[in-house]
Amino acid sequence: MPLIIPLLLAVALFCIGVYGVLARRNAITMLMSFELMLNAVNLNLIAFDAWHVDGLATGQTLAVFVITIAAAEIGLGLAIVLLLFRGHGHVDADAARDLLEQERGAEQ
Amino acid sequence: MIATAWRVVGVGFSLLVILAAGLLYGVDPQQTAFGGSFVGNDVFITYDLRTDDLTVLLLAVVGVVSACVQLYSIGYLNERVASYTALVTLFTLSMVTVVVSDSLFLLLIGWELMGACSYLLIGHYWERRDARSGAMKAFLMTRLGDVGFLFGIFVLGLGYDTFKISELGDSPISPGALTTGTLLILVGVIGKSAQVPLQTWLPDAMPGPSPVSALIHAATMVAAGVFLIARLYDVFLAAETTLTVLAVVACVTMLFAAFCAMAAVEVKRVLAWSTVSQLAIMFAGLSLGTDDGRHAALFHLLTHAAFKGLLFLCAGVLLHQVGSAAFVVLRRYTRRGALRKRMPVTFVTMTIGLAALAGVPGFAGFFSKDSVVEAAWHHARDGSTVGWIVLVSVCLTAALTAFYCVRLWLWVFFRTPALAGALGAFEDDDPMADLEEPDSSKLHEGSWLMLAPLIVLALGAVGLGYADGLHLNWAIALATTVLAVFGALPAYSLWRRGADPRPVVLEREFGVDPAYQRVLVVPVEWLARLTVGGDRDVIGAYVRATGRAGVLASAGFRKLQTGNVQTYLTAAVVGVVALAILAGVIGS
Amino acid sequence: MTTALFSIAGAVALLAAVMVVTSRRIVHAALWLVVALGAVAGCFGALHAEFVALVQILVYVGAIVVLVLFALMLTKAPTNPLPALTTRRSPFAAVVALVLALILGSGVVLAFGNEKLKPVPDGSAEAVGTAVFRTWVLPFEVLSVLLLAALIGAIVLSQRTGKKGD
Repeated sequence: MPLIIPLLLAVALFCIGVYGVLARRNAITMLMSFELMLNAVNLNLIAFDAWHVDGLATGQTLAVFVITIAAAEIGLGLAIVLLLFRGHGHVDADAARDLLEQERGAEQ
Repeated sequence: MIATAWRVVGVGFSLLVILAAGLLYGVDPQQTAFGGSFVGNDVFITYDLRTDDLTVLLLAVVGVVSACVQLYSIGYLNERVASYTALVTLFTLSMVTVVVSDSLFLLLIGWELMGACSYLLIGHYWERRDARSGAMKAFLMTRLGDVGFLFGIFVLGLGYDTFKISELGDSPISPGALTTGTLLILVGVIGKSAQVPLQTWLPDAMPGPSPVSALIHAATMVAAGVFLIARLYDVFLAAETTLTVLAVVACVTMLFAAFCAMAAVEVKRVLAWSTVSQLAIMFAGLSLGTDDGRHAALFHLLTHAAFKGLLFLCAGVLLHQVGSAAFVVLRRYTRRGALRKRMPVTFVTMTIGLAALAGVPGFAGFFSKDSVVEAAWHHARDGSTVGWIVLVSVCLTAALTAFYCVRLWLWVFFRTPALAGALGAFEDDDPMADLEEPDSSKLHEGSWLMLAPLIVLALGAVGLGYADGLHLNWAIALATTVLAVFGALPAYSLWRRGADPRPVVLEREFGVDPAYQRVLVVPVEWLARLTVGGDRDVIGAYVRATGRAGVLASAGFRKLQTGNVQTYLTAAVVGVVALAILAGVIGS
Repeated sequence: MTTALFSIAGAVALLAAVMVVTSRRIVHAALWLVVALGAVAGCFGALHAEFVALVQILVYVGAIVVLVLFALMLTKAPTNPLPALTTRRSPFAAVVALVLALILGSGVVLAFGNEKLKPVPDGSAEAVGTAVFRTWVLPFEVLSVLLLAALIGAIVLSQRTGKKGD
């Protein structure tokens, strides 16, 4: 099998994930798209590991580690989303503009 | 306390000047120098002094008039005495500097100081608007002349390669430089002595105190121009063009001023215009280019200082006692001869002064004016057109002078025999005003402090005519007397009829001042407004635009902060993509 | 054979991923995510990384997606189709993603266009295990600490801001 096929699939998944992160409104769907991106990275790692077999099984090990980190991350991410829900009553990422500097007078 | 101290200093200094004049009388001319300074790399200016006949004459004039004025002011002035006396003393000092200086620059220093003192003293009653504007006008117009004076000094000094007056004329100079230099100096003289075209400041300087008018604007400062030309006479003799220009200016001025004096309705204004006219006679004498002419001009300067100073001081007494020097007001006191009877000394001395001014035989003005006419006559007989022009002008002016002198004397001191007391001759539309009887019981003579100088100057107005020795050209004497009578008769007959017809053109003084306003002042003010507008709206706009640009840029940048996480992420991804493209482009 | 298996799994993964980012119902998007992750696990298997494929199914599909579904439930995710599920900047995001895909794709093609995978005979669990506990033991331990930190962080975050003192 040519190496390109897994790699191109990984690129496609990654870019679909990017689109999802930038365009989806619900914060949880943003996180789901982010998982897609991580999976693309894992696919990349496995493909390269299958192509260049070294004694350390680097690609597969790193893929396992990435999965671990993804798990930790989504746990925290969802906790934050729940906090957002608690504070605003919705999880709309587009409407949550608390990072915006308020006009002078509204802040004080 | 300080005022008294200054008064003592002032009177003392004037007496010192008289003493100096007396000591230097008859002493041989001599020069001394003290100090000096470098200007640039190769021009060294020393401060030299010289004394000769001219110096002694002027020192005597300055000293006597200044002493009289200082004494008079003690009785006349009550407000801001210390500053006034100090300034008059400073003025005397600067006039002395001008007179004894042998260096053109030292002379210039004294000249400018006199102008500054004049400005400050005219504005002595600075609460009054006409005093403020008159002072400013005097200062600006004389300053304008002084610019020419300064450049004249440069041209002459560099042309002759020396700035020492006694050495001017020793080295050769190109005719162009000579003419230019003397013409420029003439500009300064015209400004300082109020000749046409810079004549309008002197009548407007009358809001100053009367002793100031007597000292500065009759006897000394305005005569400094005459002194200057007399001092530099050798240089001026070599510049024919300048003398012709001077003659033309003088003749035009003397007639112009005499006409304006005929229509003035305030005593001091008449005297101011008269001063301009008499100064022009002195300049006419100088412009003849002969020794006779110079001598005659200086003689007239001497007598003029005496009688004009006297006249201004008398006007001051009238002002002090009555409160105004306008014909309108003074006339009301003449109903029962109140002014004459209650102020006899003033009346007599003023009569003497006016007689001297008009050229009544026996008084000083008669002799000095005759000497000018005689010098002109000799010059004209020798075939010079300038001489003829001067002769005719001076004779005509003598007639006009007699007219306005008699007019002043009669209207101020005598009740007109016309019916109904000359209703409307001076009041505009108020016939009832003439029937008021002002309270003249409180009218009294001035104190002896004010009268003593009057008497001294009156003696001078009579006696100085004989100071030159008595030599009379009977033909000319007769001619000028006839002219004076011709001038006096119309004034007398008009007064008898109770009329004072003042042609509008004379009342408006030929419209010179409004013309200056329109031609010079208005454009300058417009230019000033334009400059301010340009600074505020053009240059200031750039400055403000810089500020606004900063504000706008920050407002624009603030729009980037949407607060939306996805926007930030998008921007980050776009940035990464761009960098990747860039790296690819650079790498390949 | 490997190629065929991989291609099928890859196609499924791709399709499912597209559905995740474009579905109008949120819960459907989560379920499509399950399909996508499962398909990716199939891809792993086709590449002879069975251990990783199993770990993927265990952790990702089994734990993470369940967590996502719980979060959806807790945030009262609507079950009806929502038209406004993508923001206004989605065209721009699509363009950005496309450009990124082009760049990465061309980079990958340029670099590895001619490489081929050699067929691998045996499985990988033993190799991975040995590698983890020998060469990669330090990262392994650090990851444990990381998980602990995530756990504590999640607990701290989810506590109510002390309103009633508890």
